[in-house]
Amino acid sequence: MGGKVTCTLGEVKNRADFIVYWGGNPAECHPRHFTKYTLMQKSKFLPRGRKDRTVVLVDIRETKSAKAADHFLQVRPGKDFELLTILRALIKDQKVSEEQVAETGLSLEVLKDLIEKMKAAKFGVMFFGMGLSMTRGKHMNAAALLTLAAEMNAFTKFVAMPMRGHGNVTGADVIMRWQTGYPFGISLNRGYPRYNPGEFSTVDVLVRGDTDCAFIIGADPGATMPKPAIDHLAKVPTIVLDPHVTHTSRLSRVHITTAPAGIAAPGTGYRMDEVPMPLKPALQSPYPSDEEVVRRIRETIALRPDWMTNQPQMIEAQI
Amino acid sequence: MLRITGGTIYDPANGINGEVRDLYIADGKFSSKFDAGRTIDATGMVIMPGGVDVHTHVAGGSINFGRARTPEDHRRTHAFIRSKTRRSGLGGMAPTTFATGYLYAGMGWTTVNEAAVPVLSARHTHEELNDIPIVDKSSLVLLANNEIILDLLEEGEDERAKQIMAWYIWAAKSYGVKAVNPGGVASWKYGNDSKHLTSKISGYDHITPGTIVTKYAKMIDELGIPHPLHLHCNNLGAPGNVETTLETMRHLEGSRAHFAHLQYHAYGGDDWGNMRSEAARLAEYFNAHTNMTTDAGAVLFGDTVTITADGPWQHLLYKLTGRKWGNLDVENETGCGIVPYTYRPSNLVNAVQWAVGLELLLLINDPWRVFLSTDHPNGACFWRYPEIIQLLMCADYRNECMANLPLNIKNKISLPEISREYTLYEIATITSAGPARSLGLKHKGNLGIGKDADLVIYHQDKDIARMFGHPRYVFKGGEIVIEEGDIRETPDGKEYLIQPFYEPDIDEFLRPRFEDRYCMSFENYPVEMERIEHAQIQKCTGDDAEDGDSQ
Ligand SMILES: [Zn+2]
Repeated sequence: MGGKVTCTLGEVKNRADFIVYWGGNPAECHPRHFTKYTLMQKSKFLPRGRKDRTVVLVDIRETKSAKAADHFLQVRPGKDFELLTILRALIKDQKVSEEQVAETGLSLEVLKDLIEKMKAAKFGVMFFGMGLSMTRGKHMNAAALLTLAAEMNAFTKFVAMPMRGHGNVTGADVIMRWQTGYPFGISLNRGYPRYNPGEFSTVDVLVRGDTDCAFIIGADPGATMPKPAIDHLAKVPTIVLDPHVTHTSRLSRVHITTAPAGIAAPGTGYRMDEVPMPLKPALQSPYPSDEEVVRRIRETIALRPDWMTNQPQMIEAQI
Repeated sequence: MLRITGGTIYDPANGINGEVRDLYIADGKFSSKFDAGRTIDATGMVIMPGGVDVHTHVAGGSINFGRARTPEDHRRTHAFIRSKTRRSGLGGMAPTTFATGYLYAGMGWTTVNEAAVPVLSARHTHEELNDIPIVDKSSLVLLANNEIILDLLEEGEDERAKQIMAWYIWAAKSYGVKAVNPGGVASWKYGNDSKHLTSKISGYDHITPGTIVTKYAKMIDELGIPHPLHLHCNNLGAPGNVETTLETMRHLEGSRAHFAHLQYHAYGGDDWGNMRSEAARLAEYFNAHTNMTTDAGAVLFGDTVTITADGPWQHLLYKLTGRKWGNLDVENETGCGIVPYTYRPSNLVNAVQWAVGLELLLLINDPWRVFLSTDHPNGACFWRYPEIIQLLMCADYRNECMANLPLNIKNKISLPEISREYTLYEIATITSAGPARSLGLKHKGNLGIGKDADLVIYHQDKDIARMFGHPRYVFKGGEIVIEEGDIRETPDGKEYLIQPFYEPDIDEFLRPRFEDRYCMSFENYPVEMERIEHAQIQKCTGDDAEDGDSQ
C-alpha cells in the first residue's frame, strides 16, 4: 500500500548517502538546496561530504542539475509512472519484459544498476518536483514514487520528499490541516469544513463562477490561472493583500499594500519538510502585516449579525 | 460569584467520598465564602473535579500528519458547525484543534497533556495548542533518542547531558520529558531497532537502552521536574515484551517514573499466535513498587489511526496490516510513524489487547497510580473514555462484551476472573485527582479552597457511558462551558511549562554540536516565550514552597 515515508532535511544532510532527484531542477529552482541540505554538506556520518554521496537525476531532459549528479537517467516524457512501477517490480525481483523497459527510454541494465545502488545505500532519499507531480499521471506518479520509497525500507532506510514551491505553501497546508482537517480545496459554506479537490479548489470555484467575492493573500492567481478564472476575479469584488503590484492586484477592486512577511513582518514560515521557522523581520515597513489587516477586517465583520446563528451546533454525520 | 448546592461530591484529593456539600466559586477558584450571585441546584447530581488526561496526542506535527492521512474519516465523522463565538471543526480519529477542545470539555475533561513533542517542531505544537480552546494544556518533549544527549552519555559526560536536557526543555517551552523506545528510534535512523535493555544502539558502543532509562530518570529527578520520566518502553506491542517492561521497572527502582500506555507492554507468548496477557504479573510487580505511576493505554474495538514516535514499531505495523504508512524522521531528535488501524473483537491479538487494558486498570490496586488513557488516538479516541468507565464500573457489562471475543482466547486473559467494579470515587481518582498529582499540577483535580474551579456535574444515570458522555454542566475556571451538551463559552486555556536550571555557558558548549547536526540556525531554534499564549511557568525542585500558579 505504501504511504508517505519522509524525514526532516537535517536527516538528509546528516545521513543521505544516496540522493535521487526526480522531475525537478533544484540547481535552478532551489538554488540553496544543494549547498545547505544535500550534496555539499559534511557530517559525522558522511565526513567527506559530496564524495560520500551518490546523486542521481531522473528527468525528461538534461537540465543544469544533471551536472551536479553522478548519474543522469533520461526518462521518456509521460513515462514516469511506468518507470516507477518497473522499479517497484525490480526491487522485488519480479519479471519485467525488455519491451516494457524500452518504453521508458532506458535499458534494463541501467535500471538494475540503479537498484543495486539503491539497495546498497545506507540512507536513500528521493526528492520529487513538479516535473513528476504535475505531468501525465499527476498524483498517481507521486504516489508511485512514495510507494517505491516505502517499499525500499524492506532492504534499507529510504525516504521521499516533495520539493515544494515558493513562499509559505507548506505553512498554509499545515494550518488548514489542523484547523479543518484538510490541506486545501476546502469549502466552509455549510459552516463546517468539507474537502473535494476538483470541486472546491480555488481554480474550480472561480471557473464555475461560484463566488461573489474573492479575498487573496500572498498569491497571484491572475498570473497563472486559466482565463475564465481570471475573468471571474475581474467581475466580482476582489480584494488583494500583497506587498507588490501584481497581475491580480491590477484587476482587483481593492489592493491593500502589506508589509512583506519575513522581511518587514514577523511570523512563521514552514519549510518544505514542515519544520517551522521563525520569520524575524530585518526592516521596518510603513504598511501593516497581512495578519493585522485580516484581524481588523474580522473584527469589523464580527459587529454584523451572524447569518448562521440559528443553525444546529453539531451534526452527527456529513453528507 | 457562584454557588453549587446539593450535589454529591467525589473529591479524592480531599478524601471526600460521596458527601453532599455546597461549592462556592469566586474569580475562577473554589472559595470558602458566598455573598451573592447565581446558584445552581445540583441536588441528586454527581460532582467531580474536571478530568485530566496525562497522555494524549492532540497537537503538533504527528497528529497533523495523521489528519492528512485520514480524509476518509473526516468525511464520516461528526462536524462542529461554526457560530458567532465558536469555530468549526471535525471530530473523529484525529480531530481538528477547535473540535479537540469542544470534545474534551464536552465530556468534562479540562486539562490535557500532549505527550510527544519534537523540539525541532515545538513551535508548531504550540501554535496548535493555542488553537485548542477551553482546556488547559501542557506538553512533554521527546529526548530519549536525541543524539547530542546520547553522545554525551556515551562520552561519560552525564552532568553536561543533564544540563542539555534542561536546555532543551526550556527551548521547547515544554513541561517535562518523554522517552519513546529509548535508543530504538536512534537505531531506526539506520533501519534497526533496540528491543531490549541490553540491546546495541546503532552508532553507539557503550550505552544501551538500559543506560538511557536509568540515567534519564535520575537526571529528571535531580532537575526537580514536577512530572517524572514519562516512558514509552522498548519493544512496544510485541508478544513476550512483558520481560522488557519488568526489566525496565527493575532498572528504575529508586527513581520516579511514569509508564505510558502500559497495555502495549504487557504481553506474553513469543509470536502473534500464542500472544497472551501478562497484566497480572505486571500488576503484581507494579503494586509492590510505589515509585511508579502508569496510564492504561486501553484499547476499544473500532477504527483509529496509530501515531507514535516509535518509528520501527510503526514500520512493523505497516508490514503486518499492509495499510498506508507515514513515517517522519526528525533530525538528531526522534521519529514519528503513522498507520491507520482497526481493532476487531474477532482478532485474537486485538481481543487480548482489549482485555489487557482493562485488566491493568482492575488489577493495579491503587487508583492514585493508574490513570485512564487510550494513548489517544492509538488505542481508541479520547472521546470514547465514557465507554471505558462503563467497562470498569459494571462487571456484568464487561462479561457481555467478553461474549463477543474469539473462543480460543480462554487461558490467554484473566479478565473473566476479575469481579472488581470501580466506584465513582475511584473513577474520580483515575480520571482527575491521580493524573493531576502525577503531573504535579496541584491546583488541578482538586475541589479544595483556592484550587482552579474546573469541575463536572453529571446526572445520576444507570447507563454509565451515557452519564459520563453527557455531563449536565462543565465548569472551567469557574465559568460554565458546557450545559446539557451545548457549548456555552470557549475561553482560551492556559499552557503550563517549566524552566529547569542550567548553567548559562551551556549555550556556547552546545552551539558547535548543534550546528553539526541541525540545518537551522542556533538562534532560531528555541521557541520564543511570546509565542505561548496564557503561559504559566510551574516551579521545579521538590521543595513545594509555593504553587507555581502565580504568574
Ligand atoms: Zn502516546
